Amino acid sequence: MELLFNLTLNGLATGMLIFLLAAGLTLIFGLMDVLNFAHGGLFAWGAYSGIWIYTTTGSFLFGIIGAILTGFLLGIITEKWIIKPVYGNHVQQILITLGLMLVLSEMLKVIWGPNQLTANPPEYLRGSWEIGDMIIIKYRVFIIVVGLLVFAGVQFLLKNTKIGLVVRAGVMNKEMVQALGINIKKVFMFVFMIGSGMAALGGVLFGPYSGVIHAGMGMEFAILAFIVVVIGGMGNFTGSVMAAILVGLSGSFMAYFVPELSLAVNMLLMAVVLIVKPQGLFGGKG
Amino acid sequence: MAERGEGMKWIVNNRMNAIYLIIAAFLLLLPFVYESRNMLILLTQIFVFAILAMSYDLLLGFTGIVSFGHAMFFGIGAYSIGIFMKRFEPTMLHFIYAVLATILITAIVSFIVGLLTLRLKSHFYAMLTMALAGLFLVLAEKWRTLTFGNDGFTFRVPEIFIDRTNFYIICLVTMIAVFMILKRFTNSPLGRVLQAIRENEQRTESLGYQVLHYKIAASVVSGVLAGIAGIFYAMSLRYVNTSVFTMDITLDALLMTIIGGVGTLVGAIIGAGLIEFAHDGLTELAKEHWIFERWIIFFGIIYILVVIFFPLGIVGTLRKFTWKRRKLESAKKKENLAG
Repeated sequence: MELLFNLTLNGLATGMLIFLLAAGLTLIFGLMDVLNFAHGGLFAWGAYSGIWIYTTTGSFLFGIIGAILTGFLLGIITEKWIIKPVYGNHVQQILITLGLMLVLSEMLKVIWGPNQLTANPPEYLRGSWEIGDMIIIKYRVFIIVVGLLVFAGVQFLLKNTKIGLVVRAGVMNKEMVQALGINIKKVFMFVFMIGSGMAALGGVLFGPYSGVIHAGMGMEFAILAFIVVVIGGMGNFTGSVMAAILVGLSGSFMAYFVPELSLAVNMLLMAVVLIVKPQGLFGGKG
Repeated sequence: MAERGEGMKWIVNNRMNAIYLIIAAFLLLLPFVYESRNMLILLTQIFVFAILAMSYDLLLGFTGIVSFGHAMFFGIGAYSIGIFMKRFEPTMLHFIYAVLATILITAIVSFIVGLLTLRLKSHFYAMLTMALAGLFLVLAEKWRTLTFGNDGFTFRVPEIFIDRTNFYIICLVTMIAVFMILKRFTNSPLGRVLQAIRENEQRTESLGYQVLHYKIAASVVSGVLAGIAGIFYAMSLRYVNTSVFTMDITLDALLMTIIGGVGTLVGAIIGAGLIEFAHDGLTELAKEHWIFERWIIFFGIIYILVVIFFPLGIVGTLRKFTWKRRKLESAKKKENLAG
């Protein structure tokens, strides 16, 4: 019982981290038709900059804010100088974002050195609660709460604000939105910025969760995020959170019971979705 | 006299072929004239990666498919030869078995991947290949009884491949053979359809071609050739470890193809030469200043600039200029005639 509970909690926390990465990917894809292969790089940048600020200032909150700001800034730069020149050309887009990924992760090694950095949760998130014979690690709960808050926040933004309305309309039909006199380019940049910020937030939360961060982690998480985006349906925001939880849980349970197969199961799930329902498990229309 | 005239005509008409021929002859004779072990090893490496880059070019440049998991096929080839040579006697027969195994496995894998994703948008193929390559990497790390995990293993090679000069010539000949096969392949009716798919998929489909079948064919041919490159790579090192499945190999192929010029084949070879030479030179420079240890960052930046400003790469851009010049010349001639 205790084991099951802990595995579930662990899976949920990992799922939330993947969600933070995948949500940006799927939003950007839905609106701009760009699959950002550099998203993992933004995740790693969030982790490094956040943890660096956290260790130098000693405040985890500053670290989180710094990471999000780094994400915003990198998102704006990426959109403006890397993605914009190649809008409309899929092959070039895919190629260029991968190149950016390469540069981003090498830059990390240039700035912070090639070795991995260690990170611990702050004082008030360390340790665990004990309820009966169950041990609940605080930091995991914290990640789940932050993930849910971000999900609720973005959901609110999409459903209840003017800009959210424009984004949702843009996902459906870009040309029509433009024809109604809305500058969709500005919306693109906004969405890219939000997506990058979420990825960076995921990165900095991941730091104390795993204890160490290294430059290659962006790639590892990006692969999981791609699986999630495919399973949840490309461009489907609510789908991405469900799929992220699914992948997180299956990863945590498989890693405990049959560790060799943990990635394989997710891959298999993705393959099945690709064959049966390429629009995603939670996607309504094709 | 007449015969000589014919010969001259052939050279004039096929100036490019003549240049290739001269370069090939030069490379073939090089080890007998210029004895430098390091140079020989570097050139062998270039030939191996040129095969990989050309196989990549078939996908990216001729069919317009982006693969981020090409290392998977390369690694399958490398591990096949390694396992066969380690488990059994390093004889020619087992070498042939390893080649057959590689062809079989890469063909099956690339067929399945193609079948799953090529009917969807181009993103899916890129994503699935990337994820699958990650899976193979994990498999190679975890299946210790077969692959010896992360550390990899050394193995012996058949006698004919032991001598460096021999191996150099075998790699060169294989590269030329692959180049000629792909040249023929891309100019065949099938290759023409592939190029049509790259230019406009919907239109090709409306013309009645089964686009999916053609794309899968390209995927399979490319996968098999990448596997062959992997075989030679492992044999050149006589050692194989999990690094053959990493993203770095895919990125190398990608950089070589893009910088050299997509859709040209020669560009892939030139790109392979450039990157490998630069890699070699920058590793030397790393002793002077640590920034050169991160040499890949320079390539990353160059790569992004190339994609934005010269999407045709070196060879493609050069060709465009010669075309423009020729057009100008012919326009002038017409003017002269008219005037």
